[in-house]
Amino acid sequence: MKTLLKPADIAINTDCLCRIEPGELAPLPSPYEDFNKSIPKLLKPEKIKNIEASLDDTVAIGIPKPASREEEEARVLQFLSGLKKLFEKENNWTFLQPLLLSMEHCARCQTCSDACPAYEMSGRQEIYRPIFRSEVLRRIHKKYLRPGGKITARLTGNIDLNWKAIARLAELSYRCTLCRRCASVCPIGVDNGLINHEIRKLFSQEMGIAPKEIHDKGTVQHLRVGSSTGMTPPAAKDSVEFIQGEMEEITGYKVETPWDVEGADILLLHNAGEMLAWPENVGAFAIIFQAAGLSWTMSSEAAGYDAVNYGLWYDDVQFSRVAVRHADIARRLKVKKIVMGECGHAHKALTVIADRLLTGELNVPRESAMVTLENIVMSGKLKFDPQKNNFPVTLHDPCNVVRAMGIVEPQRRILRKIAPHFREMTPHGVENYCCGGGSGFAIMSGYNFSEWRNLVSSRKKFLQILQAFENESQETPKYVCAPCSNCKGAIRDIIGYYHAEERSHLYYGGLVELIVNALEGMKKPIINFGDQPSWE
Amino acid sequence: MAALYRVYRQLTLPVHVRWEIYPVQHESAKRRAYGGSYMEDVDWWKSPYETSAVNELKYMTPEILLLRGLWKENKRLWWLSFPFHLGLYLMLVNVVFLLIAAVFTLWSPTTYAEGGILRLMMDMLIVASGWFGIIAGFIGSLGLLYMRLADRDMKLYATPADYFNIVYILMFFLCALLTIVFVDPFFVAAKSYLLGLLTVGTFASTYQPGQNVFGALTIVLASLLAAYIPLTHMSHMFMKYFLYHKVKWDDAPSRPGSAIESAVLQNLTLKPTWKAKHIGADGKKSWRDIASSTPNEMP
Repeated sequence: MKTLLKPADIAINTDCLCRIEPGELAPLPSPYEDFNKSIPKLLKPEKIKNIEASLDDTVAIGIPKPASREEEEARVLQFLSGLKKLFEKENNWTFLQPLLLSMEHCARCQTCSDACPAYEMSGRQEIYRPIFRSEVLRRIHKKYLRPGGKITARLTGNIDLNWKAIARLAELSYRCTLCRRCASVCPIGVDNGLINHEIRKLFSQEMGIAPKEIHDKGTVQHLRVGSSTGMTPPAAKDSVEFIQGEMEEITGYKVETPWDVEGADILLLHNAGEMLAWPENVGAFAIIFQAAGLSWTMSSEAAGYDAVNYGLWYDDVQFSRVAVRHADIARRLKVKKIVMGECGHAHKALTVIADRLLTGELNVPRESAMVTLENIVMSGKLKFDPQKNNFPVTLHDPCNVVRAMGIVEPQRRILRKIAPHFREMTPHGVENYCCGGGSGFAIMSGYNFSEWRNLVSSRKKFLQILQAFENESQETPKYVCAPCSNCKGAIRDIIGYYHAEERSHLYYGGLVELIVNALEGMKKPIINFGDQPSWE
Repeated sequence: MAALYRVYRQLTLPVHVRWEIYPVQHESAKRRAYGGSYMEDVDWWKSPYETSAVNELKYMTPEILLLRGLWKENKRLWWLSFPFHLGLYLMLVNVVFLLIAAVFTLWSPTTYAEGGILRLMMDMLIVASGWFGIIAGFIGSLGLLYMRLADRDMKLYATPADYFNIVYILMFFLCALLTIVFVDPFFVAAKSYLLGLLTVGTFASTYQPGQNVFGALTIVLASLLAAYIPLTHMSHMFMKYFLYHKVKWDDAPSRPGSAIESAVLQNLTLKPTWKAKHIGADGKKSWRDIASSTPNEMP
């Protein structure tokens, strides 16, 4: 039997704090039983000999091991310095009140645990429990930063602080997708997702520690080159031009993407990853907006063609820089509003979080594409033949659009109109489960992290998808509609990892693809199931 | 004092970024049902921001009185937590009734005469709230203590302070229970005590059967408990207001010229000191300067 880990155990001297054993993960149904004994592939010793990897056999960040005892001690002091700043208004006005409230009022009732898909699917590994990392931070804060803390720690919960504990806490902050399902069920209103977010911030803003996919290749590249994909402005325009050609072939009429149109009604912000991984999404938006006669534009300015804001997940300063850049582009284009494409975290970042950052002329109104699209679809401007979407469809709710913004029904009203075989997942809406790719996980694949994501954090979503289609035959092609780039990335990966296209004929895509697929007058379908078109 | 400090601190914290979570209960009834928001409307910023206090109350009343959230998410705990909270609530109600009775006794003795309907009614209310509260609180606190000791998940995270808190409250309810069962079933001593408090000990009460060890302990423990709760996480009893209204349901948009915008402008003048290289903070640059700059490691 496994030893039960307590928060204080984060500091113990062992090579691996938590090891998932074969058969511990929540079981998958037929025909996926062969994955029930799977565990994340172990990294080769030579790959991890210079980095911190003592949490759970998985590495997301790859923090270099300190070269000496002195360096370890210096890093511990740096951590405490950052922790102190989390509770100062000069450094953390952005989240000070929510953090204080969540740090001070947890009753440790464990109501949050059952809500967490990563904890549940991992076979209830203690370290993934929502409260585990919160309690570690809470105890460190009480013991090392409160007056008399070292004396009262025996009463309020003791914990030792060493470099191992800190390195593990950094890694552990990347085992939570920030879906905030735990916060939504807490009877008191405590938000363990928020505490996790603050831990990530501490490491990034004070110690410069963050996964390279979301910092170096993410926000830094976004601000430097123009996109976290590495696409420069000319490359973005080339991509869209290529997409236009593709769309012309499908639709039979010429699609024109307007660029940098001053005074347009709408600035459309896509996740630039769509241009590379799912070009049909960008094309479908252009078709719908053009067919509906909207006044719209895209921006070819650096950062203006990439809606992502990875700062949302780990760093308020990087977040602010990207948000200001987006808003300033919209301001200079003099558009009436920004419409966020199918990217969940970008929705929340620019519409909700940046709402109390952007002032004056930078506060350009922002709207979800779900809302804009519903307005178009329901307006009668476009004619649809729902029978073209004559296949089972289920909807994945991106946490950032639904639970964090309350945009729940517009996308459903569209689907009820254009997808006759639409069915819900259980649960759905604001009670949905994360795709497992939230908070940067979908783009993090260094070391063996993608294994952990596919096996643990995305497992619940995979089960939900299978359940939504359980009454369909294996041979029937099925469509998972995921109106969010990161969610699509995570769902693409689980379909690939579990061979679900071959075994269950599972396919995935966005919402606009379904809209265009049902649009009257198209020469060819935009949705294909492997080599098979969705309609003839 | 501690409670006032907690509230004061919350009121003086800077406006934070929005971090609401849906459903937000002051939305319209239709939207509350599925967790929708005003952002589901086209051009939502052209409409006034409206909230419904009635809808909030519809949610908060059963949440406060019946712990509805816990019932939905953690029924096993609710069966113990509800009587525990009910016990504490009824103790507060009991004190209010005792105060009312004392006020009548002191300042309107004729309307509150022995044998009168008002006196009879107040006596019944005091006895009912007291007995129900003490029994519920005793069962709840005993059950919660057992759960913390027996439930693996709760035990793993319980600190000595958690055990102290629950044992303390259990002791209060136990002493109160022993008092009403064996000494003072009609709360005569409690009434005398409140009268004594209001008159700074000058009220001439000749009957004081509560002067036994359990009755005295109940009064001492209750007084200390009222002072102690605000120092602990149990202050969620009243701090829940901020957790819900200032975070979970705080969906108020920042509009040009609004108080929120002014507060944000103020926040942007704050000068951070984060040390990571890419931040570029030196304690002199403001958030505004830093947010409109580029990261340090850029060429």
